[in-house]
This record gives sequence, structure tokens and C-alpha cells, in this order.
Amino acid sequence: MIYWMVLVNYVAWYVFVFIAVTWMIVLFSNRGRFAEKSVNMPKTLPGVSVLIPAYNEGDSIRKTVNSVLAMDYPKNRLEVIVIDDASGDETGRIAHELEAEGRIKVIVNPKNRGKAYSLNRALKVAKYDIIACIDADSTVEPDILRKMIPPLLENGKVASVTPALKVLKPENLLEKIQHAEYILNIFLRKSLSVIDSIHVTPGVFSIYRKSVLEEIGGFDEKNLTEDMEIALSIQNAGYRIENRLDAISYTICPSKLRNLFDQRIRWYRGALQNTVKYRHMIFRKRYGNLGMFLLPFNFISILAVIIIFTIILWNFADNLLRGIWQMTLIDWNFMVLIDGFILDPKAMIFNMLTTSFVLMALGTVIGGYILLKSFRVSDERFSLNKLGYFTYLFIYPFFMMFFWMTAMVFELLRIRRKW
Amino acid sequence: MPRGRKRFDAGIFISAAIISTLLFASGIFIGYSINNEKLTSIDDNIRKVTRDVQNFQIEFLFLDVLGENATCPLLVETLSGINRDSYEIGNKLESYGSGSEIQDYNDYVNTKREYSRLLIGYWLLANKLKNTCRMDVDTIVYFYSKDCTKCEDQSFVLTYFKKMLNEKILIFALDADLDEPSIQVLKKNYNITEYPSLVINGGVYIGYQSKADLERTLNL
Repeated sequence: MIYWMVLVNYVAWYVFVFIAVTWMIVLFSNRGRFAEKSVNMPKTLPGVSVLIPAYNEGDSIRKTVNSVLAMDYPKNRLEVIVIDDASGDETGRIAHELEAEGRIKVIVNPKNRGKAYSLNRALKVAKYDIIACIDADSTVEPDILRKMIPPLLENGKVASVTPALKVLKPENLLEKIQHAEYILNIFLRKSLSVIDSIHVTPGVFSIYRKSVLEEIGGFDEKNLTEDMEIALSIQNAGYRIENRLDAISYTICPSKLRNLFDQRIRWYRGALQNTVKYRHMIFRKRYGNLGMFLLPFNFISILAVIIIFTIILWNFADNLLRGIWQMTLIDWNFMVLIDGFILDPKAMIFNMLTTSFVLMALGTVIGGYILLKSFRVSDERFSLNKLGYFTYLFIYPFFMMFFWMTAMVFELLRIRRKW
Repeated sequence: MPRGRKRFDAGIFISAAIISTLLFASGIFIGYSINNEKLTSIDDNIRKVTRDVQNFQIEFLFLDVLGENATCPLLVETLSGINRDSYEIGNKLESYGSGSEIQDYNDYVNTKREYSRLLIGYWLLANKLKNTCRMDVDTIVYFYSKDCTKCEDQSFVLTYFKKMLNEKILIFALDADLDEPSIQVLKKNYNITEYPSLVINGGVYIGYQSKADLERTLNL
């Protein structure tokens, strides 16, 4: 490797080690926080307005509404509002059927205006002080509200509570990989809450105080990822965002690579845009761990991982091309060479013991450990999804790097897209 | 609206920075130690083979006492042993040298010089053995240099022949840039100015020799 490449590689790895060590410290000094204790519900349960923005979710909206209504919560303290964002399919029809059954309210947008607009519109008519938002293709566990309400009420500074989001019935390999990813994110989100740095309130049943939402001006209608924007806005206003590991909601994830690509480009471009929008928080002590650590290092770590993986791929391509060229020199008689290679373990070990290899092995071990920890925390069984987890650990990062680089490039070139 | 500051646990990050730096430093230290070990092990190997070569020289003296028929098999066997060991050293040296982590360049250069002297001694003895015992073995002295575009290809082709012919071919790779008198003497003797250059069974071949060229030269 060329010398500057080595230096850059070391710097990138140092960033990585720093972030990993930070999380280890957070984890080990807050062990107790990762097991949720049962909490007491207040005598009078507060009212909750559940907002369900829907655009062409005809085949799933009924299930979502049923799931929400099946929650273990008094019906007279629950309000369900479906916002039909000018759907072209039977979403509107089904919503009105449900409305006729007397169980929900329906708002219809004459033109498609996006999720944020729909939520803001529903906010104006929601009658309760606690707002829950859920996508029309998702479902919840019945006890979810009972788990999420107490942390919200515990402290006037808490403005939002986030759930543990899982993938519903992953089937193909791609979904199983994302299942592993979501399990890891449950763990990460909890860790973030421990240092009060949650930067995304997932749109799959996060709950908010209505007063705070109104105070900060509601959801940003021009944003790619309004779930990140609203979280940063809440943090910016000085409030806290909590998380419960036992408040479980389920969502659908893309089953085709093309759809995954579209989804991730949108997410990552949104993340970049929001980081820019809230750049005044970066390295400012008043914004605490979020401003000093999370926002800047999320960005820096993406750069670091891109650098590391680019160097890995570069070396791989370099070796591959060299190998092919060398084959041409000996008329592809590679059989002669193989018997020397495999039968000499001492030489192989001698060659492998380089710093890069040791670092990579260390990184894999740490990554694997965090992944295993995530299983335990989410009550998931490793054996049920072995293939997904291994693929996630070793292969998925390359895809993610590609998605991040694409997102950066698109963002820099200001490529316009209709989502 | 709580306009207070958000929680900043500076302690966590300072500890993390310190631990990370320690981890990194120890990682680099371990890497350094491993590299030293590598070079030390190479030095030990060279020492062993040098002793073998010395034994080899002594065994030559048996020729006068016991005659060719008795001595040649012994000499040929000793030569095979030296062949294997020195080839292994060459590989280790090369992999060490091509890594980006050569801590002590001087040590490395000295080891290379010692190895080159060993090789040349070995080559001289092998030639003597070839003549005396009429051994069916090909010797190739391979001169390479740093700024030589075709040297990497040449090394690879020679490795191929080595793997294919094993003990029937002895290859001695010499770094022409090395400030080692015995190498410089050979360069002058064979008039080597371009790299790669090969001396195959005493004949000089300037420039890259392909697989086909070598097959022709070695009558394969």
C-alpha cells in the first residue's frame, strides 16, 4: 500500500475504535438501563390520539387500524385519525368503511401533500395531548402504549418516547438481513437514549407531547426524513427523547434490492440534509452529547467507513487484476502453483499477521459482540436467523457503503427525485 | 420550554479517547514486535542455512578421499536440503519486504545482504557439484532492481518454474541495487546493465524472459 493510504487508513480506524470504545463505556456503565423494569401506570390514563397517514396502503391499512384498536388501552381514551393523502387505490374506501363502523376518524387530502403535511393537518384536530404516529403498513404489540406512556409522563422534560422497531415476518434473505439490522438498531436506539442523543423518532409508533410539537412548529413538510427532523427539532428545543425496549412495533421492509436502494438513498440523503440543517448543534456543548458526539461522529464515521472499505476494495481489485495478469504469463497453468499455496500453513500465517488484518479481525469481533448483545436485549434468538446475521455482519456493510456514497454524490450534485 | 443545556458527559469521551489511544499504541507496538520477530526468525534461518553451506563445503573434501560414486549422492541430498531452506527464506524475506511495515530498514538491508552472500556461495557450490557429479540441474541467477517494470512478472514466471521443476532448477535471486561487493562483482563479470537479467547455466540473457523463452532455453 502507498504510504498516504496507510496513514489515512490508520486515522479512519482510530475514529472507528474511538466510537466503538465510547459505546462500550456507555454500555458497561449503564448495564441496568438495558433491562426494562415494569412500571406503574397512572390512575387516570391520559388520552392518546393515534395518527395514521396513508398513501396507497389499501392492502395493509385495515390491519394497521385493527392492530391499533386492539391495544390494551381504554377506548374512551383513544382517538384514531387516518389521513388519506389522496390515495389512488382503495385506501380511501376502506378508511371510510372503518369510519362508518364508528371506530376511527378520516381526513382526506384533496391532493397528495406528503406525510408531514398529513400529520400537521391531523395535529390541528387531534383532541388529546399525547400524539402517536404510525405508518399505514405497520402494526403494534397490544401493550405498547402501556409501556411508552410512563416514561413520557415521568418528567416534564421528556417530549417523546421511541419504541423497539422490528421487521414483521422477514422471508427472503434481503428481509432477513434487514431484520438483523433492525435488531441492532433497537440496541443502538436504547444506547442513544442512555446518553440522551436520540436523533430519529421512527414513524412507526413514536409518541409525542402535543404541546411540544405545536411549540416547535410541527413536522417539516419540505423534509426527506421528517422522523429525523422532528427528533432533532425536539432536541434543539431542549427536550428529551426516551426509549423503551419492551414497546414493540412492527414494520414492513423492502424485499427487493431496487426498493431497498430507493429507501436507503432517501434515508441517507435525508440524514445528510438534516445534519446540515442542524449544523449549529455540532461541537456546541449546550447541545450535550448529541451536539458534541453523535451528530458530528455519525458523519465522520460514515466517511471513515467509506475510506476503509474503499481501500479494502481497492486492494482486492488490485490483487485480482494482478492475479489475472500473472495467469496470462504462465498460460493459465495455475494448478502448478496451487499445491505450493495450500500446503504451507506456516507461510500463510506469516503473511497474514499484518496490522490491517489484526484490526479487521478485531473490528469483526467487536461488531459480532454488539450484534449478539442486541439479540439478548431484544429477546431474539440467534439460531432463528443465522444466515441473516452472518450476511449482515460480513456482506451488508459493502452495500451500505455503496448506498451512503451514492447518497452523498446525489446530495452533492443536488439530484432531484420524486419520492 | 426548558432552554437548559443538554447533558454532556465529557468524561465518557475523554476516557474513550485515552483508551483508544492506548489500544492503538499497543496495536502498533504489537505489530512492531511481530515484525521484529519475523526478521529475527529470518536471520536465524539464514544462520542455519549458512552452516549447512559450510558443511556442504566440507563434504566436498570427501570427494578426494571416497571418490565420486560414494560422495555425489550425499552432496546431492545436502544440496536439496539447502535448496528447500533457502527458498523458504527467500519467500519470507520477500513477503516481509513487500509489506508496508518495515520498521528498521537497516536491519532489513543487512539481512538481505547476508542472504545474498549466502545465495552466491550456494550458487558457486552448486555449479561445482554440477560439473563434478554431472548433476542434471539448471541454475538461474536472476538479477532484479527496484525501478524495473518487468521484474515482478519475471519473478512470477520463475516461481512458476520453481514450483513445476522443483529440485531440477535452482534459482538465485539477487537485488542488483544492494551495496554488496559479491553482487557487484558478478554484475560486472556478466556485464549486467539492464533488469531483469538472467544467467542460465552460465549463459547471459538480458531482459525479460517469458515462459516460452525459458522453456526453449531449458529444453523443456
